[in-house]
Amino acid sequence: MASKNQDSKAVDVSQEIEGRIATKVKYLQELNYAIDQHHDRDVYRLLDNQRYAKEIEHREQQPNDEGVMSLVDDLADQLSSYLSVNLIKYLGKTYPFFYYEEYQTGHYRIYFGNWWDRRRFGELDVLNVRFSFDQTEYQMLNKSFELARKNKRYNSDRINKISSENDRLQELIDHRREREEKRQQIQAELKDINSRSGLFESSRNRATREELVTQLQKLEDQETEARTAAQTIKENEQVVLALSKENTILSYEQKSIIDTFGSFEDFELANRNLYANYLKSLSADQDAGKQVNADD
Amino acid sequence: MTNKIVNSPAARISSLADSFKDVLKCGQQYVELLDQLASTDQAEDLLTAASKLTEQDLHNAFIDFPQHYQAADYYMLFMGRLLEMHQVASVTVDENQQHEFVATIDPLTDARFKFVVGANGEAAFTEQSQQQPLFYMNLNQRLFQFNNRALVNYFIVYALKKHSDLELRDAIKSLIEFANELADDLGFTINLGILNTANDRRFKLQQPDLRLTMIDRLFVKTGETDYMLMNLPHNSGAELLLDQGIKFDLSFDPDDYSQEWAFSVKDPGEQVSFFDILLHYNLVRQWYLADRDALAVRSEQLIITDDESTSPVATTVPAAPTEPTEPFPAPADQVTEPASAVRDSEKTPTDNGDVVDTETDEDD
Repeated sequence: MASKNQDSKAVDVSQEIEGRIATKVKYLQELNYAIDQHHDRDVYRLLDNQRYAKEIEHREQQPNDEGVMSLVDDLADQLSSYLSVNLIKYLGKTYPFFYYEEYQTGHYRIYFGNWWDRRRFGELDVLNVRFSFDQTEYQMLNKSFELARKNKRYNSDRINKISSENDRLQELIDHRREREEKRQQIQAELKDINSRSGLFESSRNRATREELVTQLQKLEDQETEARTAAQTIKENEQVVLALSKENTILSYEQKSIIDTFGSFEDFELANRNLYANYLKSLSADQDAGKQVNADD
Repeated sequence: MTNKIVNSPAARISSLADSFKDVLKCGQQYVELLDQLASTDQAEDLLTAASKLTEQDLHNAFIDFPQHYQAADYYMLFMGRLLEMHQVASVTVDENQQHEFVATIDPLTDARFKFVVGANGEAAFTEQSQQQPLFYMNLNQRLFQFNNRALVNYFIVYALKKHSDLELRDAIKSLIEFANELADDLGFTINLGILNTANDRRFKLQQPDLRLTMIDRLFVKTGETDYMLMNLPHNSGAELLLDQGIKFDLSFDPDDYSQEWAFSVKDPGEQVSFFDILLHYNLVRQWYLADRDALAVRSEQLIITDDESTSPVATTVPAAPTEPTEPFPAPADQVTEPASAVRDSEKTPTDNGDVVDTETDEDD
């Protein structure tokens, strides 16, 4: 009978709804408890079961139940802020050179170091336990490690180029008197030659004259450049200082990474394993009954 | 009536005899003071003798006393005797061919030091080849002050070319001991200037503004070393991390709107001074000397007041380092307020009698 079928269908649907609601309630209850107890590892498991199963329990293909997980989508910023407390505490020990600024709830900027000048280095993705490095800045650091292997620094080539340009400009300034003497000498020669020019000027005379005019022009060009050279040197020195500063920042960063991780490769490896390593550190704390940030 | 008496032969002879008596009494006193200076084992008696001797005038029309010493020599004898009382053997005082007392400080074999006495009764302990007055003292006022600029000129710029930093540190040590003996034995007010090792001692810069590129230059220099230049909270300056927890700061007080930049040195035992940093750390020394105009420490005044009069006499002492807000803490009626001290001394004679403009009188 149609109505009976419909009734049983309705029962199936209501059962399904009840089942689904029960799952959601159970999920929220579990999450609520984990939050209440500050069991951050459970919170992470509940927020991304698939990743947790794969990286912590080594069980592949454990799909996430999007239906329940999406329940707390609108709480992402608050959850991030909540979970950041223990995560940043952990990172303070494992990455002692990173500093974080919560510029809005649950969003964290990373600063590399606390030295005289430092770089903004991207953001900390708390919910995914992941650094989201600024790629331009990161590539600079990567490159500086490569160059260090060749005993070079990031801006060495540019600094050397500007420095030799400054040497050349200084030469121009230093040789002003010689240039003036040379100019007077050429002018005297020109005068002499001009007096012998005219309608029947010999080709040799003309060639010499043209050569002298070229030389004179070159001297005048140099003189023009020399007039602004002192200012250019000053400006170049400022550029060199800025480039040297960048070199210094990079060398501080390299030093920090080597002091903590031994090498850039080990730093990158640690970044890839950050989720697993962090959650394992939480497990150890929980197993020992000493959950980080517990109120005891 | 009076004319008549004075003009009488008997009165004239009697008057002359009186004069001789005075002079002889004066000579007797002089000899006693010399004895006291040479033989007393009491610091107070030593100070009294030296102080009186530096003021005694033996010149007169009646008697020629034989060769005697100058005020500068008594200062040197005083210093030598006080150090001797404390068994400080590294300073040796000797008489030279011109009958002047000259000091040598171990291990600076090549240097000779003499006191140079200024118009206001302050004596400057002056190195002879470079003419650098390393410190000033005034026995009546019981004041002692190192000259920062001269310390840098002589030790950091000049002597470090011939001696190791450790040798210079030893030489400086005996001068600091002398200052401390003056304070402990005789209650002198002493100002160690850039030799002060207290962690809270700040040396404000002469220039009102500091270009941050100056700090950039120090930062860049650290790139090749193991030392790191850190940022201070609230971007209030920079802190260089050196060995054994020593921190060298160039900073301003973030709560003070005037943002006056100052150097300071912090170390766990409070044993390291700004001078020590310049002496031992190439990195800082090279940086500092390369831009000394921009990094020089503000000039401060040694205030020497006249005991008898209420109007204070301010003496400009180049490189005398006190906080402008704390001149020598002397009894209130002897202290010139810092503001008026600057005003008063805008054109004041130095110990050379030269008129100097205090505003340009910058020191380290």
